[in-house]
Order: sequence, then C-alpha cells, then structure tokens
Amino acid sequence: MSSVTVEQMLLQHEVEQFLYHEASLLDDRRFDDWLQLLTGDIHYWMPIRRTTTAKDVAHEFTAPGAMAFFDEDIMMLNLRVQKMTGPAAWSEDPPSRTRHFVSNIRIVENTGDSTSSRTGDEITVALNFHLYRTRLESEEDSWIGRRQDVLRRVDGELKLAKRHIFIEQTVILSQNLSNLF
Amino acid sequence: MTDARTDILDQGSWVDRESGAVDRRIFSDEGVYQAELEKIFARGWNFMCHESQIVEPGSFFANYIGEDQVIVVRDKKEQVQVLINSCPHRGNTVCRAEQGQVRSFYCSYHGWNFGLDGKLIGVPDEKTFYRGGLDRDKWGLSKAAQVQSYKGFVFATLDPDAIPLEDFLGWVGRLSLDHIAEQGDVEVVDGIQKNVVRCNWKLAVDNLFDWYHPMVSHGSAIKLGMLSKEFLSVDQQMVILGEYGHAIGGVGVSREDQQRLDDKYNNPGPDAKKRRRSPNSWRAEQKAKEALGPVGIRSKGHPNVFPNLWVSTGATQLCLRIPKGPMETELWWFTFVEKSMPPEMKKMVIQGAIHFFGPAGLLEQDDGENWSHSTRGSKGLTTGARALNFEMGLGKDEVYVDESGQSCIESPVSEHAQRWLYQSWQEWMQAESWDDLIKHHSPEPRGKI
Repeated sequence: MSSVTVEQMLLQHEVEQFLYHEASLLDDRRFDDWLQLLTGDIHYWMPIRRTTTAKDVAHEFTAPGAMAFFDEDIMMLNLRVQKMTGPAAWSEDPPSRTRHFVSNIRIVENTGDSTSSRTGDEITVALNFHLYRTRLESEEDSWIGRRQDVLRRVDGELKLAKRHIFIEQTVILSQNLSNLF
Repeated sequence: MTDARTDILDQGSWVDRESGAVDRRIFSDEGVYQAELEKIFARGWNFMCHESQIVEPGSFFANYIGEDQVIVVRDKKEQVQVLINSCPHRGNTVCRAEQGQVRSFYCSYHGWNFGLDGKLIGVPDEKTFYRGGLDRDKWGLSKAAQVQSYKGFVFATLDPDAIPLEDFLGWVGRLSLDHIAEQGDVEVVDGIQKNVVRCNWKLAVDNLFDWYHPMVSHGSAIKLGMLSKEFLSVDQQMVILGEYGHAIGGVGVSREDQQRLDDKYNNPGPDAKKRRRSPNSWRAEQKAKEALGPVGIRSKGHPNVFPNLWVSTGATQLCLRIPKGPMETELWWFTFVEKSMPPEMKKMVIQGAIHFFGPAGLLEQDDGENWSHSTRGSKGLTTGARALNFEMGLGKDEVYVDESGQSCIESPVSEHAQRWLYQSWQEWMQAESWDDLIKHHSPEPRGKI
C-alpha cells in the first residue's frame, strides 16, 4: 500500500463515483439513463448458490451456462426496463422503494494503467452490495452479496461491461427478484 | 355468533360442488394445514428428485415431505433411499447440505454415523458409554415407507398403505410426467431455483391451471411479446381430469389441427431436411404419440401431479410447491434438457427457463404478490367468511371420451381443473386412510360437467 500513487487514488475515486451514480439511477427509477451506462456486450449474471459441505464448497455457485437467477444480455436488460416502466407490471406497481448500497470497493485488475484513458481499457472491481427494498404497507426485503463488475473505458467515459452478482441467500427469501442489482 | 375461527377443520366440507364455491379459510387456517400435512403430504406420493440428480452412490439431494426434511440418496447397492433427516438420538439433522456427495451421514451432535441406507453404523465409544452396546438395528434413520420411480422421476410416501406409484399417478399423472420423459434421455440442469412466497400452497397450484389470469397478471410480459394470443389460445383449451386429483389444464390442439400436423409429419415434402430440431419437435415422433395417446398428444396445457408438482409450460421444467406453514410456500424449479440436444438448443431451454420463470422470471415475478394477497385475504373476519367463486364453465361442458379411453373437456378457458383440484383435495382431507380414499374418491367424471 505504500506505493499508492495519486493516479491510482484518482482512478479509485472515479470508479466509486461511477458506481454511486449508477446506483442512484436505479433508486431514482431512471432506468433508461441506467441503460445508457451499459456496454452493448454486457453480461449481467446471478448464479444460484447452494448450501454445501465445506468439502464441496467449490460447487457452491452454479457455473456459467447452468441455471441462474439472472443471465442477461443487453437485449434482456432492455426488456426488463421496458417491462418495469410499462403498464401492468404488477410487481413494480406500486413501485418498490429501493436503496442500493455499495461498499468495500476494490480495483482488482486494470488492463490499462492508472493514468491511461484509452478506449477498451477494462477495470475489474470487487465490491459488496446491499439492496434494501420495501413495498406496499409493510413488505421488506434485503439482499446482500458480493459483485464483480467490469468497467470499460469508452470515449473517455466508464461503462459497465460485466456484472456478476454473488448473492448470500440460497433460498431467495423474497417473493420475487423484480429489481435490478 | 358461532366461533367461526375454531371449527373450520371440524366442518369437514369446504368445497361446494354444486355452485363451485370454496371456503377461503382453507388458505390460512392452521388446523386445516396440520391436517393437510398428515392426510395429503404424508399419505400421498411426493416428488423427490430426478434420477439424473443422484447418479453415483453417495450423491444426495435434500427435499421435503410436508415439513419433514428428507435426504434422497443413492446407496452403495445403487438403490434410491429416502431417509428422514433427523438423528434418532437427539433429533439433530444428519445432513446440512442441500446436495452433494457423501460416504455416510454423520451427526454433528454426538457423532452417530449412518450408512447411505440409513443403518446406524457408528456410535462413538459405544462400549464405554452404552455398556453392553446399542441395538443398532433399532436405531437407524427413519425412512419413507415407500420409494418408487416413474421413468426416472423419484417419488416417496410416508404411508405403507399407499397404492403403487403408477396406480396413484393413473393415466393423467403418467401423461403429465411423460411430457418430459418422452423428450428422450433427459437430465436436470445444475441449479434448482428456490424462493419463498407468502401464500398458501394450494393457491400456487390453482394458478397453474388458470389460463384466465395471464392476460391481466402477465399483461406486461404480453406487451413485450413474450406470450402471444395464439400461445394463450383462450378459446381452444383442453382440461384432463384424473383420479386422486391429477389434472391438466390449458391449451389443447383440436383434432383437426392435430390431423394437419400429423399429415405434415408423415408427408414431409422437399423442405424436410431443412426442418430444424426444436425443443418441441419430440411431440411429432411416433414413440411420443404412442406414449401420450391420442388425447394426450393434443394437450399442451399445464399438468399438476397431485398435490404440488407442476409440469411447467413447454414441459422443460418442474415446479414443486413446498408448504412452509398455511401462509408460506417455497417454489423449487427443476429444469430439464435432453442429453443429445445441440448446445445452442440447451442454451435456449435454459435461457427460456430463466427469463420466464423463477423469482426473476418476467412472468413469474408478477404472480407472488397476487397469491400472497389472496392468502392474506382469507384471514380477515369479513373476507374469510366469503367463499371464493370457481364457477367458470360449471355445467356448460361435456367430457369427451376417446376410443382409447382417454378423456378430456374441450372448451374456452374454464375452471374445471381448479374445481377438480379442490374437490379431490377435500376427498383426501375427508378420508381416514388409503382404504377409505380408494373407496370414496371420485372416479374420472363423465358426461355433463
């Protein structure tokens, strides 16, 4: 840690501000603006977690291509937003009240360097999340987990190119997953 | 005023066959629920898993019979065992994982160890502490009374008097499972989606027969083009009713349309080679037609194997509705692919499953709140006192019986299957034993219905 440069700190700041902004768009239900932050080749994925013995813990999560809760490309995410913002989307009408928290944000890989801003540079970010939801009179749901996001630099701006969501629950304790993580 | 809250179970009859009215307090009453655990779940045949989930000796999958947790495991002799997950010493669970591979089941409390067949095979310091030793034959894990498979689908019952699985299923239950089994050599895709809905399990089952709700409940998915008018086919529906409560409700192909499909298949024409295999193409095979029968092959509806196993849309998934109290249900989704399917077709099936169903599914996500509010509504003093309306189609239709003996009701969307579900449920609840149920359950209906 002694060799942290100002550039690295600035990049960390930029990444954090991107994630906070993106989370606020979801909480403010500005889903179309949120879609603008995604790359066309995004992979948005939440595998299924299982309770296993310590010996089998390598199989705790389902592998890519197996069953999952979310396995979405840009088209599916567009559809989800279209659904949520269109008529007769009962799971979100009345709208859920959500609050996205992200913390423990660490840059774990950077294909560029901290001073570069070339299109195509990718920054892999590990973080913890907490999505809190309340609905109607007294419905309350809370999902906590870890995420691995890949942010890609496009024309100077950061975009979300990958979001892999590793949730702590095995049996999902909510009636649905009608919100975006 | 009589105390309406205490005698719901004692009233002994909750479903009015003449009017199609159902006492809605059966969706939240604790006494009714406890009786269901005994008279329906313990007595009936419960889906455990598919054999492809437990291929090797020692591989297991944890499931439930009512609220009793069981371990479904292949033993060293390759027999499937269904063991009650509770150590007979202090009652602790002996298996804490939901699936995996083990050599034995070791209790983390005092170390009693059980073989894959449930036998007690290890007791720490037995000679020192149980001077003279323990009667090991007497202190193995409890087991389901009977375990049987139908075409790879494993079922278990806690009742030694239960009739054989195939008799319980009857032609309608078998036909239901054949919709998956006849696709070929099928296997479960890794990953069972599980989530909790705060509803009574019967409302979730009732809903699978309900082709009246998609237009409203799933209006947003219809708007996206995920469900077409042709697919919903509300004017051309087929309901199939089977003994002991099994039923299929939903889209039916007319005899004329089936004839056209058969002709096309028998006279493939020059484009035959171009015709791609699709997840549905198995339905055109002669073998599938023979297995499903002339009426069964025309059914594209939603089967329910009584009490709680839905063969979902397109027969690529099973959804098990596990009761967790009168007002809570877990939904477990098992997804199937045929082993020889090309990878891109497997992907299509899996993606379809994820995007339609499960808690994040674009259809399924709109169901839970409706069911939970229906359940909650059964608890109010005023709301609970008002019976629900299941009269759609009542007295308007006729049961058609094919030369093969298979029968169905062809009509626009109706509630024949839901009425059959609740009527059968009542017969299970009224029966004192399997003998009683055999004597007093309704035969398949005939004539006007």
